[in-house]
Amino acid sequence: MLIKIKRQDDAVSKPYWQTFECEAAPDMTVSALLDKLNYSDDLFDTEGNPARRIRWECSCTQKMCGACAMVINGTPRLACAAFIRDIKNETLVLEPLSKFPVVSDLIVDRGIIEENLRRAEAYLGSYEQQSGRDFPQLYSAAKCLKCGLCLEVCPNYNSGESFFGALFANDMYLLFRQTADRSGELLGEYNKHFAAGCSKALSCVDVCPIGIDTLASMSEMNRRRRKQRK
Amino acid sequence: MKQVLIIGSGISGLTCAIETAKMGAKAILISPYQSERSQSVMAAGGINAVMPGSDTDDSVSLHIKETIDGGCNIAGERSVTALCGDAPHIIEWLESIGVVFTRDKSGGVARRAFGGQSRRRTVYAGASTGKQIVTALVQEARKWECRGYIERRLGLMFHSAFINDNVCYGALFYSERLKKLIPVFGDAVVVAAGGQNSLFGKTTGSALCDGYAAGKLFMQGVTLKNLEFIQYHPTTIETPQKRMLITEGARGDGGRLYYLDGGRRVYFMEELYGDRGNLMPRDIVSKCIYDAPSQVYLDITFLGSKKIKKNLGEVYDICSEYLGLDVTKESIPVAPSVHFFMGGIAVDIDHRTNIERLYAVGECASIYHGANRLGGNSLLAAVHSGRAAAQKIAQEPPVAKSPGFDGYIRGQEKIISGRLASKSRFPAVYIKNSLAKIMNEDLGILRTGEKLASGIESIDYYLSVSEKLLYDSDVSPYQGYSLHPMLTLGRAVLTCAQSRRETRGAHIRADYPQRSDDFEKCTLISYSGGRYEITYESED
Repeated sequence: MLIKIKRQDDAVSKPYWQTFECEAAPDMTVSALLDKLNYSDDLFDTEGNPARRIRWECSCTQKMCGACAMVINGTPRLACAAFIRDIKNETLVLEPLSKFPVVSDLIVDRGIIEENLRRAEAYLGSYEQQSGRDFPQLYSAAKCLKCGLCLEVCPNYNSGESFFGALFANDMYLLFRQTADRSGELLGEYNKHFAAGCSKALSCVDVCPIGIDTLASMSEMNRRRRKQRK
Repeated sequence: MKQVLIIGSGISGLTCAIETAKMGAKAILISPYQSERSQSVMAAGGINAVMPGSDTDDSVSLHIKETIDGGCNIAGERSVTALCGDAPHIIEWLESIGVVFTRDKSGGVARRAFGGQSRRRTVYAGASTGKQIVTALVQEARKWECRGYIERRLGLMFHSAFINDNVCYGALFYSERLKKLIPVFGDAVVVAAGGQNSLFGKTTGSALCDGYAAGKLFMQGVTLKNLEFIQYHPTTIETPQKRMLITEGARGDGGRLYYLDGGRRVYFMEELYGDRGNLMPRDIVSKCIYDAPSQVYLDITFLGSKKIKKNLGEVYDICSEYLGLDVTKESIPVAPSVHFFMGGIAVDIDHRTNIERLYAVGECASIYHGANRLGGNSLLAAVHSGRAAAQKIAQEPPVAKSPGFDGYIRGQEKIISGRLASKSRFPAVYIKNSLAKIMNEDLGILRTGEKLASGIESIDYYLSVSEKLLYDSDVSPYQGYSLHPMLTLGRAVLTCAQSRRETRGAHIRADYPQRSDDFEKCTLISYSGGRYEITYESED
């Protein structure tokens, strides 16, 4: 299989493309393929030039940590959950997420995600237990990997200066539904950094690797906003 | 303001930072990546606690007894009492910061049965308890960050500790972005760097937990403990990617283990140990699966699709995605695999190491679990240890003036520059893969003195060459500088296993199959000038 990778030596250098050839079994994931490529004796591209080993971020390799988010054949995905058997093209094309600064090759700096949550003072305050009815959505929202795929695919998210994207909406829902004393502040931040900028393309729902129902979080938050206005 | 340096931002590191902040001191929380990437998010099953208003005849003293029994009588009663006594308060606190625990019909936290325990005392959040706890801790830590009591620093890999005259003053880190070493000083240093997974290659855990910090600190004079006790989780699945864990919660909720004998299902754990056979402690279940004459399966189909998807949704997802198997209709082929390290940095009840002002918490610390950890006690120990260390540090006076480490830092910078300038194409990962092969083949689940001696000989060879070789620095100089301490740690593990001439818990010696009273103590190992010295002591 041919693997074309958008590479960048470090944060300040220019990107370039390099193509490799590697045997890939259908049951392998893209992350397993990257491992295989990196652990070959010497790495050469298809033109026979020696190449640096490919840098990518990896921790759990089973869809639980969000480290290996990248763009795979044009679609933002986790490398550990993208199987070779599902790759329809002859060439596998890998690129770093485009909405974050590149550190090197497929590694990007996603620090803006936490920075924005801090800017919005996204914390609980005093806790108030919710009824069992809320459990599935709270449980689901709390599983957010902070992988950034929902931001990559969102037409409204650019660099995260004012619009913070779907993961922010889910975190705010999680906090809002459990706080006893900060609901007003949390709703205000939600309005400012999400509701005002979301055009409801909902591409975030499809791309989420763990299937968080962002629409349900939004619907609950919007219901509260309407209540607040009355 | 007193400054506490915390290395690692999983559950134990986060908890320690929050408790430090609550005590009015400043926590500097350092890690290569954000908490969402830590191994803590992979902890599935639950957290043990005897809760008030329990509807069973459970008690804290029973939790203590079962933890000590499960650990085969070498965990200290004082430390285990502190752990189990703190458990109900920990659950209350975790609830108060918004952990989304699974609830029972009355609205209280639900509990499930777990291995080695006679009562249902494992509080859980579906099958992603670790992740749910991390999410709440990150939010709570953020509150203290906003107030200036916690400062997070990402992108830093641990390099070494600043130790002088048996006192720790801070630590040195490598920044991948800046390609340089960064010193950080503090009144106390807490290591929360996780287990030693990568010594064994790809295990059920995170690739980021490689044991380097424990290995490096060992070489700097820190005593390690009980390294031979490595938990094999009974139920893991093989995928083309890695081995993945099937939570003990699956058996806690009723799952049954069997193998096929000419088409007939043999429920061997139930035949050997009765009704609760599937929930024997992990060391026993793993050994029985290892001894089974054919492939062992875990059956949860009879729980029904609704319950599986509600309580064990992650098991359903993993098997479906990585094995193409529908667990509501088919049994899961399972085998034991390296999962947890009972051994690590030796600490006392306050999580102090043998070096003044240096503490260790979470999986990298060795305490509470003896020769075999009970499921549900690792999350408990992670939270408890973070709190215990922070509380002890708060009682200590601020550090005296640092003796200065400029000369040491300059020396290390020179070595790193040399590694960065290396034109070698030889990847350090090759030797790490060889180390993993030795650890898996010569240590393994069933050990012999002969194999252990052969493993030690092999590692000694790699130790003799590892610092003389130049490595490909394309990936990171960390790969090069972490190699020698990881090999040293591997050597120490094998040495501990070789010295303990008995079978106890997760340490199974084919040549010494009986438990021996002579070894009813913890193993302590120290390192000096290439020599490994072992003593045996009680934990308390």
